Amino acid sequence: MLAGSADVGALARRAPKLASFDGEALTLPGVEILQVTYELGGVAPEAPFPPALHPTLPVLAVLAVWRAAAGPLGPFALAQWKLSCRSGARPRQLLVGSFADGEPARAALNERFAFAAAPARVRLERGYDRVAAGVELGGRAVLDVTGRGPLPLATGDLQFFSSVHAADTPTGLRLVQIDAEYAVARAERAAPEVACFDAAAFGLPGARLAYPVAAFVAVADVTLPRVRFVSRADVPAFAGTERVS
Amino acid sequence: MKFGIFYELSVPRPFAGGAERSVYENALEQVRVADEVGFDFVWAVEHHFLEEYSHCSAPELFLTACAMQTKRIRVGHGAVVCVPAMNHPIRIAERAAVLDILSGGRLELGTARSSTWSELAGFQIDPDTTKQTWDETIRALPRMWTEERFSWSGTSFSVPERAILPKPVQQPHPPLWVTVTTPGTELDAAERGIGCLGVAAASFKEQERRTAEYHRRIRSCSPIGAVNEQVATLNFLYCHEDGAEAARSGLAMLGAFGQSNAHLLFTREAYPTRAYGSLANLAPAPARREGSPGDPSGIPEGMAIGDPDRIIRAIKEWESIGVDGVNFLLNALEQIPQEQVLASLRLFARDVMPAFRKGGR
Repeated sequence: MLAGSADVGALARRAPKLASFDGEALTLPGVEILQVTYELGGVAPEAPFPPALHPTLPVLAVLAVWRAAAGPLGPFALAQWKLSCRSGARPRQLLVGSFADGEPARAALNERFAFAAAPARVRLERGYDRVAAGVELGGRAVLDVTGRGPLPLATGDLQFFSSVHAADTPTGLRLVQIDAEYAVARAERAAPEVACFDAAAFGLPGARLAYPVAAFVAVADVTLPRVRFVSRADVPAFAGTERVS
Repeated sequence: MKFGIFYELSVPRPFAGGAERSVYENALEQVRVADEVGFDFVWAVEHHFLEEYSHCSAPELFLTACAMQTKRIRVGHGAVVCVPAMNHPIRIAERAAVLDILSGGRLELGTARSSTWSELAGFQIDPDTTKQTWDETIRALPRMWTEERFSWSGTSFSVPERAILPKPVQQPHPPLWVTVTTPGTELDAAERGIGCLGVAAASFKEQERRTAEYHRRIRSCSPIGAVNEQVATLNFLYCHEDGAEAARSGLAMLGAFGQSNAHLLFTREAYPTRAYGSLANLAPAPARREGSPGDPSGIPEGMAIGDPDRIIRAIKEWESIGVDGVNFLLNALEQIPQEQVLASLRLFARDVMPAFRKGGR
């Protein structure tokens, strides 16, 4: 079974601090979401993952941009880059990098759920025949994606998967499992387009978006529950998973 | 009750150094033994690009080798992907007819539409269209086999009038099946009058419900050809006189299967669509099935792993809910040494099969 080969030491050095596992659950109402998915290229499938995780073949590169107009954290926008994988046999997405626009929200997401979001200008714009999103870092575009020609789907046609975020936790470096729940009110499928993607800016130099898969647009109430499971990064999930609440 | 053996042809890493050849040679030896000891079917999947899990991308060649090395066992596609970008319908009909001739009329033709993103995207196939192309293909196949000259004007393929040659030996044509992974496909099978080739996990209760619904619905079917009313399920087989040893090796096989399965990227995981209703698995997912209450062996309910008496009890239960046949995976990633696999086959034939033949216990 192909296991991740990323250097755990390097992962530890850039992992954000998660001071405790006691962060309260958070519900973000009416989040607009654009998710653009490509197959990952440019790096070996196992290269981005720590040994605890196993790549799907192929690996999906999932770019998810959220825009929340209101809610407990105030208005904010968040761009995440995640990669499809398995923890044991379970489907997961490893968070590679993220950016957030809206300072109180960014801090809260980082401190409570280890999003490791760097400050940047993040936008999500809905047009008649497209939904576009992007990230500007110091005036330079590092992401520019579009979902073109959205067509309605049933809300149940969308699939979401728990993500795992590397973090420096009270018990050391851990992969923190974030079991976000999505109550979807609107769902559309679109054609994915990418005008700009700087993989290095998101934390994985050399990677590229190799083959378009799909895009979807959604409006959902997103709940980030309390962290329940974490796992060690250096051993398989069946040996290194711990329940923390 | 009929018994078959079923091949994904999984290959452990590293693939270099003859690993694939060894897997194929071991499988062919198992098929020869299965033929000698009385198994009814050998089935082979069609998969592409699925590293470790299945290196069986040209099953028609493997099944031809099986047919050439055996006398009695029926050879089955489990199944041909009926999507023109992968297999043009005319080529399916032609290849199947040739295999039916070469095997002396021993072909069973399972049909499918593929369920992984890896495979569909690899052939640039739109997931939304596969059910329709499967339906169109299977309706055309019996006509291609039975009509002197055939023409078709369809959505996924068209052909002016041509003689599709050769014709199969079996009359009117080889039995048709569809692989059943997601709930509801058994109704597609019944509606068309074709067999249900189960390749995914189902509990006794769920299988009983599906089987009953299939038999009820097929009575009023609109057959696409000769009706093939059969329900087969997929299982794992490891039979050993010592139940503890059977559990040890059998559970290792299940674990290896689960590992090889984990890398698969199912269509629904990648692509939002209502065409694939669930994260369909390709074969039993024993990790999701708990052992029977009061059974310390850890063997999942219904699995044909254990000593002969235990396996008889498990299969009797499948039989009691209306299943006509059980097909067995014999190994995964070569976890069980070949000699033990062959011994398991022989022991099963000697001590288990008689319980399911006429006059059996």
